[in-house]
Amino acid sequence: MEMFWIFAGITIIGLTGYVFQIVAVHSHTSSKSSREGPTFTGPFPHVSILKPLKGIDDNLFDNLESFCMQDYPEFEIIFSLRDRNDPAYKVARKIKDKHTDRNITIIIERCNDGLNPKVNNLIPAYKASKYEYILISDSNVSVGKDYLKEIVKHMDDPAVGLVSSVIRGVGGRTAGAIFENLHLNSFVIGSVCFLDKFLKMPCVVGKSMLMRKSDLEAIGGFKAVKDLLAEDYIIGKRMKDMGRRVVLSDYTINTVNKYWGMKNFLNRHIRWGKLRWRIGGIQYLSELVTNTVFMSSVPVFIYGPSRMTVSLTLFTSSLKIMGDLYLGRRIKADISPLFYMLSPVKDMVVGFMWFVPLLSNTVVWRGNRYIIGKASRLSPCTDNGRWAWRYRIVAGIRARFA
Amino acid sequence: MLLCDFHIHTRYSDGSVDLERTVDLFGQAGFDVIAITDHVVNGDTTIGRLTHKLKFSVREDNFDTYMTNIRKEAGRAWNKYGLLVIPGVEISKNYLSADKSAHFLLLDIKEFVPACWSYEKIFLEAKKQNALVIACHPHYMSDLSRNALFLWNNRERYAKYIDAWEIANRDDVFNVISLKKYPYIANSDFHKVRHIYSWKTLLNCEKDVDSVKQCIRHNKGVAITLFRS
Repeated sequence: MEMFWIFAGITIIGLTGYVFQIVAVHSHTSSKSSREGPTFTGPFPHVSILKPLKGIDDNLFDNLESFCMQDYPEFEIIFSLRDRNDPAYKVARKIKDKHTDRNITIIIERCNDGLNPKVNNLIPAYKASKYEYILISDSNVSVGKDYLKEIVKHMDDPAVGLVSSVIRGVGGRTAGAIFENLHLNSFVIGSVCFLDKFLKMPCVVGKSMLMRKSDLEAIGGFKAVKDLLAEDYIIGKRMKDMGRRVVLSDYTINTVNKYWGMKNFLNRHIRWGKLRWRIGGIQYLSELVTNTVFMSSVPVFIYGPSRMTVSLTLFTSSLKIMGDLYLGRRIKADISPLFYMLSPVKDMVVGFMWFVPLLSNTVVWRGNRYIIGKASRLSPCTDNGRWAWRYRIVAGIRARFA
Repeated sequence: MLLCDFHIHTRYSDGSVDLERTVDLFGQAGFDVIAITDHVVNGDTTIGRLTHKLKFSVREDNFDTYMTNIRKEAGRAWNKYGLLVIPGVEISKNYLSADKSAHFLLLDIKEFVPACWSYEKIFLEAKKQNALVIACHPHYMSDLSRNALFLWNNRERYAKYIDAWEIANRDDVFNVISLKKYPYIANSDFHKVRHIYSWKTLLNCEKDVDSVKQCIRHNKGVAITLFRS
């Protein structure tokens, strides 16, 4: 039974880490810290909001419209698409027609400078932007009216190079969307706040990134990250390396995942897992350790169900449900309390997903397959490439069972 | 071009999404025109009676509520999304044999039309109400249980009453409509959220009910597109 005690010990270590994550989120979202945040002296600077669009996200109309409703003196919104036939074009067009009082530009340009499709989409928008301050914001993000003011105020400090925000998954109506939101509202928000508070490591999530053009240019601009999968993380890291502060704003933005399928959930988190494995290396192991539900259930698989092994799993799962429920309440997530019962199931799925990046180094992103290299550098994965045999095996199995 | 879907079900019949959310789903995705067309099932067969019992059909007693709620949602959709919502029903004559079954849409309907009436009577009533008649999934489909072939098998007799035929329904395409040179549109037959990604109609006309109806009737400036994310 030594193995049982080893896994029980790992579970305790994981739970301790989870408690630190909860403390970090609690601290980050406490009303005290919000009240004591910085204020902007002088007039607010003009901001260019860059919105790369590709396909229809859940609630796309409302997401885009929330940026038109900003209570902010002067800003422009640039919707950037690769193709006029993209279904998002029609939505962008409607938003522009509805908000004629706003400075909205729609850019359609097929930029192929790099391998990261989001960066390719951003480059034309960046070139067209007029203002010194740029905000990169994903299309599945919805914000309140005070969002821009709340994040721009951090820029009053010239030492600040980048402001990002914590994200909250909202709107889940399908199993995939609920899993996604549970994961964003526990693991993702916990990890981002933990790294920011205790390790002082910038962990920028590209859903919301505010920076100055001069700072971005100083780290090489978008061209420097055009072939990276984790362009957001690397921009944050390079800002810090350059001596600029990377601030995690206490403003929580909504990521709307309403009708996501389970496949979307699996694809996204396997992709994110692969890039964390490529960037973090051995540190990626900590994700498995902090997946307490998965670690506590390993003895059940090894020894079979017994009072001890099942008790450990149930006890850990209960703690995880309560912890996730607390985090959800803390960040005002809209997940029904009953759905938190799914949290351990989601963690089990995530536990198995953890191993995929160790076995595969290719990702399919927006219809293209890439090989991920060191620091998430992408290279094209062709049918004749070095790793293509694995791709062909998977394709063969799929065809067999289709 | 207006992006349109004229065949949408809600929880008023066998759809899985309620009316308000359905309207929001299409509005959020940038659609210009949609028609809500819940089933009106014939109650003169065992299948029909069961459907009525399970409330998978709009009935005479809830038709006014159905129409009132569609009109209310139409107002909201127009103000928020610039989305035109047309009220309609799908007359569903269901029998055990696909050859005897028929489904057709009545778009811009005003009064309740029972599905157990004869075909001629329903079509004449539709004309009286100035509603469009659209033959749904008229030919063989990939899902055999959804086949409703009566109108196609009796096209010589009924084609004169039908304003347009579905040339595509969700994932199925019916080349026979093209070969016969019948007026056409394409719809999703929306029941579940994922059905939004399916065949759609593009219309080159003004965004109002009369122009849309005229465009479909004349079948000029009509195109179909496969809507994918």
